[in-house]
Amino acid sequence: MKMLFKLAFRNVFRYRRRTIITFSAISYGLGLMAVGISLYNGVDTHAMDNIINSQTAHLKILAAGYFEKKDEVPLEFTIDEPQEIKSLLKNNRDIQGIESRVLFQASIISGMDELPCMGVAIEPEIDPLVFKIKDSIIDGRFLEPSESKIILGSGLARDLGLKVGDDCTLRIFFSIEDFIWNALDLEIAGIAKTENPMVNRGTVFIPLSLAQEALSLENSVTELAVRIEDRRRLLEVRESIEGRLASLSKDYEVVSFEEYASDFKELMRMRSRMQALIPLMMILIATLGIVNTMLMAVMERTREIGMLAAMGMRKMEVMLVFIFEGALIGIFGSFAACVIGGLGGWWLEAKGFSLAFLGEEIAEMVSFLPMEVYKGDLTAGTLIFTFILGTVISILASLYPAYKAVKLDPIQALRHVG
Amino acid sequence: MSIAKLENIHKVYHIGKIDFPALRGISFSIEEGEFLSIAGPSGSGKTTILNLLGCLDKPSQGKIFLEEKDITALPTSKLADVRRKNIGFVFQTFNLIPVLTAMENVEFPLILEGQHDPKERRQVTEDILTEVGLKDFLHRRPNEMSGGQQQRVAVARALVKKPKLVLADEPTANLDSVTGEEILQLMLELNQKTSTTFVFSTHDKMVMDFARRIIRLRDGKIESDQKVNKK
Ligand SMILES: Nc1ncnc2c1ncn2[C@@H]1O[C@H](COP(=O)(O)OP(=O)(O)O)[C@@H](O)[C@H]1O
Ligand SMILES: [Mg+2]
Repeated sequence: MKMLFKLAFRNVFRYRRRTIITFSAISYGLGLMAVGISLYNGVDTHAMDNIINSQTAHLKILAAGYFEKKDEVPLEFTIDEPQEIKSLLKNNRDIQGIESRVLFQASIISGMDELPCMGVAIEPEIDPLVFKIKDSIIDGRFLEPSESKIILGSGLARDLGLKVGDDCTLRIFFSIEDFIWNALDLEIAGIAKTENPMVNRGTVFIPLSLAQEALSLENSVTELAVRIEDRRRLLEVRESIEGRLASLSKDYEVVSFEEYASDFKELMRMRSRMQALIPLMMILIATLGIVNTMLMAVMERTREIGMLAAMGMRKMEVMLVFIFEGALIGIFGSFAACVIGGLGGWWLEAKGFSLAFLGEEIAEMVSFLPMEVYKGDLTAGTLIFTFILGTVISILASLYPAYKAVKLDPIQALRHVG
Repeated sequence: MSIAKLENIHKVYHIGKIDFPALRGISFSIEEGEFLSIAGPSGSGKTTILNLLGCLDKPSQGKIFLEEKDITALPTSKLADVRRKNIGFVFQTFNLIPVLTAMENVEFPLILEGQHDPKERRQVTEDILTEVGLKDFLHRRPNEMSGGQQQRVAVARALVKKPKLVLADEPTANLDSVTGEEILQLMLELNQKTSTTFVFSTHDKMVMDFARRIIRLRDGKIESDQKVNKK
């Protein structure tokens, strides 16, 4: 056994060219796969985080009926006593913050240009507890309560050529169909560039009191956005909130970020199905690489195999030499794949990459994910998976060539010239 | 005692639909300690006979005995065991495992045989390599040795497990005549010293002259079988 291993080991180093080809197939194929998995995991978690931090929070409390129509951004399903709900939930330790918000359809007018956007009325003093808009101000400052200023998403500001300190007109729609609206002239207090390009492209933030006045909502809001301390307790918190709300006379619904972002979830699911193909292709490439080079090895060493058989080596032993050989290359290759995957994944995790190098506008067109920077998420599990997969593949891929080797008739093999 | 015996051996190769009779009724017996040459022109069936004697192949008809035991009907896997134990091979070319040193090549059959004591194994290996004159080449790889030296390693490897029978198929065909003679001389010496039975094939008159018995083949039949008496 030791002997067989020694033979395999030496063969790995003797037939360098072949070893290098196989080694490369495995290390690049699986290395890229590992990087891909890291990126994929990163996109998965970061994209969701970005949506949570800029759009959905963890939970939203909505008036019954709102959720079904949420895409129309309706104003008729309102929460009329948000303060009452807030105080009802005040003692819930799991909740980090609850913010009253009004979502409305709007557009921004600057000179001759008008761009539609989503209006988000926020409580500036509470918003930072629930969202990360405040952290994403790249120019100017965050809103103060009840001032008559706005914050624009960075893409919107760019497209309209607006800067901090400029004035613009905010058209607030009561109803798009009936074209009932109200216009406000407002100064831009700050520009927000969140991690979520969708928000940057089409959102305007205004203080809640201003929106309530402009929309004649009095104290009503369209949603209460809730951030909880520990996302893993989402279900429990939701249940407890629902329990509390049941005591109120009006009907409410509590919606999690996953439900709220279900379109995005669906997108991710489709994408993940597509992306499963990429690792599969990498695996296929690596497998074919090994099968091919090991078959070459069998051809090249036909006479040697004949001689080994003549000397009375058993079929199993001949097979093992080739399997060991494949396994060894596989182990080295997988190790290198882990190094490649580790470095790539680490870079993705630490730095990430942005599509900005394509130019901001193209980047916005091609990026359909709620991420400004594509960040990876490298886990030990990914690397272990890569290593084990590479090793297993290379052993499996050596089986057929090894079988070919023992199928050779020793007499023919010995007569083989070359 | 007879080491090996062929009884009315026929061997037919099938090339597509054509049957090609390579051996047509061969019978002879080999006694222990013989130094026997199978001679004949190319295509006369020498390799085929050695393959049959070496349990690498089975006859189409006839019986083969090794030490009076009928091996004709043994399954292939059993034949491998017979080879492993009883038979040493020296081939024309490409005899050695390229990735192993001289020492390791010679040691190989011992490991296959299941000799577990590495010290003893090395000792035996070194002794036999010294005997074939390669004391200073123990750690060379085949590609670092001349053809003659490689063939000496092959002879040493064939002999190291003290087989009943050493089969050498045209062992000198790829060597120049001086080196070829040296190899034959070496085999002869080992034959006399250890009384191991040697069967080698050749089509070279000069090589034949080393033999103590020559079986001449022509077209798959024995043309003559003569003892040569020397000193
Ligand atoms: N595997 C084979 N298939 C078909 N014909 C073969 C095969 N092996 C040998 N022969 C034929 O059998 C004859 C004897 O071959 P061989 O024993 O190799 O002769 P020698 O070793 O004396 O040159 C030759 O004519 C050869 O072409
Ligand atoms: Mg021949």
